Amino acid sequence: MDGAVEAAETDTAQAHAEQIKAAAEGFGADVVGIAPAARWDEYVPEGYRPYDLLPDAKSVIVVGTRGPTAGAWRSPNPRVMEVLGLDFANDRAIAALTGWVEAKTGHMAMQAPGLPVAGHQPPFSYMLAAVLAGLGTRSFAANIVLNPRFGLLYYSACITTLDLPGDPMLEQDVCPAPMCVQTYKHIGRTPCMAACPADGGGCLDGKIGEDGRIEEAYYDRERCVSRAMNFGPVTFQKVLVDLATEADPDVRRAKVNSDFFSRACSGVAFYKESVAQCFECMRVCPVGRQERKLK
Amino acid sequence: MSYFVDPETYRAYKDRVLELSQSIQINYPEHLPPEKRKPGLSDEEIAERLGLDVFTAREIRCVAEREYYGLDEWQKALEFKERACRDYAKRGLSSVTKKYKPKSKGS
Amino acid sequence: MNDQSPTLSAEAARKMIEDTARKGGALVFGIADPAGFAAAPEGHRPEDLLPGTRSVIVVGGAKPRAGDWASTDFRHMELSSTNDRVTALAMKIANLIERELGYYALTVPPGVDAGQQPFISLSLAAELAGCGSRSLAGPVLHHDHGFVYFGALLTTLPLPYDAPLETPACPAPTCVSMFEEEGVTPCTKVCNKAEGGCLSGRIENGRWAERSYDAARCTARVYNHWIPSFQKVVADALDEPDADRRRMMLNSGLFTRTLWSMTYANISQGQCFECVRVCPVDARTRDLR
Repeated sequence: MDGAVEAAETDTAQAHAEQIKAAAEGFGADVVGIAPAARWDEYVPEGYRPYDLLPDAKSVIVVGTRGPTAGAWRSPNPRVMEVLGLDFANDRAIAALTGWVEAKTGHMAMQAPGLPVAGHQPPFSYMLAAVLAGLGTRSFAANIVLNPRFGLLYYSACITTLDLPGDPMLEQDVCPAPMCVQTYKHIGRTPCMAACPADGGGCLDGKIGEDGRIEEAYYDRERCVSRAMNFGPVTFQKVLVDLATEADPDVRRAKVNSDFFSRACSGVAFYKESVAQCFECMRVCPVGRQERKLK
Repeated sequence: MSYFVDPETYRAYKDRVLELSQSIQINYPEHLPPEKRKPGLSDEEIAERLGLDVFTAREIRCVAEREYYGLDEWQKALEFKERACRDYAKRGLSSVTKKYKPKSKGS
Repeated sequence: MNDQSPTLSAEAARKMIEDTARKGGALVFGIADPAGFAAAPEGHRPEDLLPGTRSVIVVGGAKPRAGDWASTDFRHMELSSTNDRVTALAMKIANLIERELGYYALTVPPGVDAGQQPFISLSLAAELAGCGSRSLAGPVLHHDHGFVYFGALLTTLPLPYDAPLETPACPAPTCVSMFEEEGVTPCTKVCNKAEGGCLSGRIENGRWAERSYDAARCTARVYNHWIPSFQKVVADALDEPDADRRRMMLNSGLFTRTLWSMTYANISQGQCFECVRVCPVDARTRDLR
């Protein structure tokens, strides 16, 4: 390619990236990052890469938004965040941005599908996308991707045929935070592991190496499901199986009319109630805590 | 073709399918060296590994995910969150770390 | 049109409403005369929902993007298809009419009334408002935008009406040519009734002369994981005498996915797009880099 043409294209791509980030922030994103589609090759098998969903995909734009408000984090009642842990600002932002990319650049764009289509499995992982777009790194806490400024964020992604300059992946791990390394040295576990220990009926375990980085990470997703999806489709299904195999009509009636099943039905009916229903590992996480301090 | 697998096939493969899937996630962080990183396999990879067709492998995984823990675990979850959230509101971080702190010699 | 508002002419009111609709993302806008609904069943006409209705406003938009159509994974559109945004726009306009102009307004609920019947047929409203014409594939198609989601609102505000299209958007000229050569159109070919699909039909003089549509099969595809599959699996499981097999049915991937779709109803309403995917009506808008 002619050098001048190449330079001009690079400038255009850079300008597009800057415009896209500004637009995303205008649509409500707290953070925006871009990853070249080729980055997926190293991390996921065929079938789960951007160009498996959109032929000729070149880039993935990832947005992250904050979930519960600082006030919600302070509530002593866990049910507050079970019912309204987030408001889908990430989905609204990415839907608007995807339309914007097509309208303003003439390149194809699609909102990456992140809902489960087979059991827990989505066609595309937003968490991996956030890591590859340099927005955060995995943590001991359920492999949640923590952003260095905000900690827990909710992510959505847009896959596009537009070739954009990628943001570098973070070199500095967000987890474990220095405070957590100290806690680990002192008591043998980080705050999140202490809050939800695998050896104490919880979900998490792990080791920090001599270099202060995650050396081993263990996460029992199925137990986490029982907590983070306490009510909603999963619970509805489990109760239904229980009802369908219950022989005693009196017991069956009691189960159908139980508060537990009523809440499961509510989680199915009101989707906002079924997104995230456990925050205990994040509650004790120091990353992003400064953003939750208000008057 | 049925939309579900027969119970015998399920029982024969469910433990192996779960082991290979993402139910228990060990060493997922991207910075870990390839020889240490152990992401769970896709349904296609599980099927190939176990000599099943993809539908059967996926179906076994879906059912096994649902059956992994009984409903009592969902009830325990309520108790766990109630305790953890209210304790943290009262005592902050020590609500989770205190029980692990080494006992001082005098105590 | 009818009489005029004492403070704002009907034309000015229409402009204000259309500007709001366009600014809010409407690709298509039109106003229907409520008298046109005379052929609709009793109980499902504008007057049955809002006494004194003088105008039926229709907005259309939120269509799948070019990238959505280009995706090779059919499940993608199952997880992103929604009329929620258009319904929200209709509600916004209803508020505008009540708060700014002082007339009653009512958004037509997008769901169904008793007997699985729509409160008011959005397809009929769209046709009467000149927003498109019915297609062989089923949906009302707009000449420029093809398949869009529609929302409608009823109001006692008198407004200038639009007329139904004189030339239907379907069949497109390329579909007429294809039918003459092969006896099928893109949609009747991809989902052919004789081959286990939902559609068949015949074109005469450039227009549809016959159309056959297997609604029950279409339900199995469009509502692949939805209330019908929920009911079917539950009925199936309750009939199953073997407890182990019953458990497998209720824990199946099909049922799990169905519950997720029902929960996230706001983004998983349509679950089959294959007849519209091959439709050439709005091909121009899908042609990006």
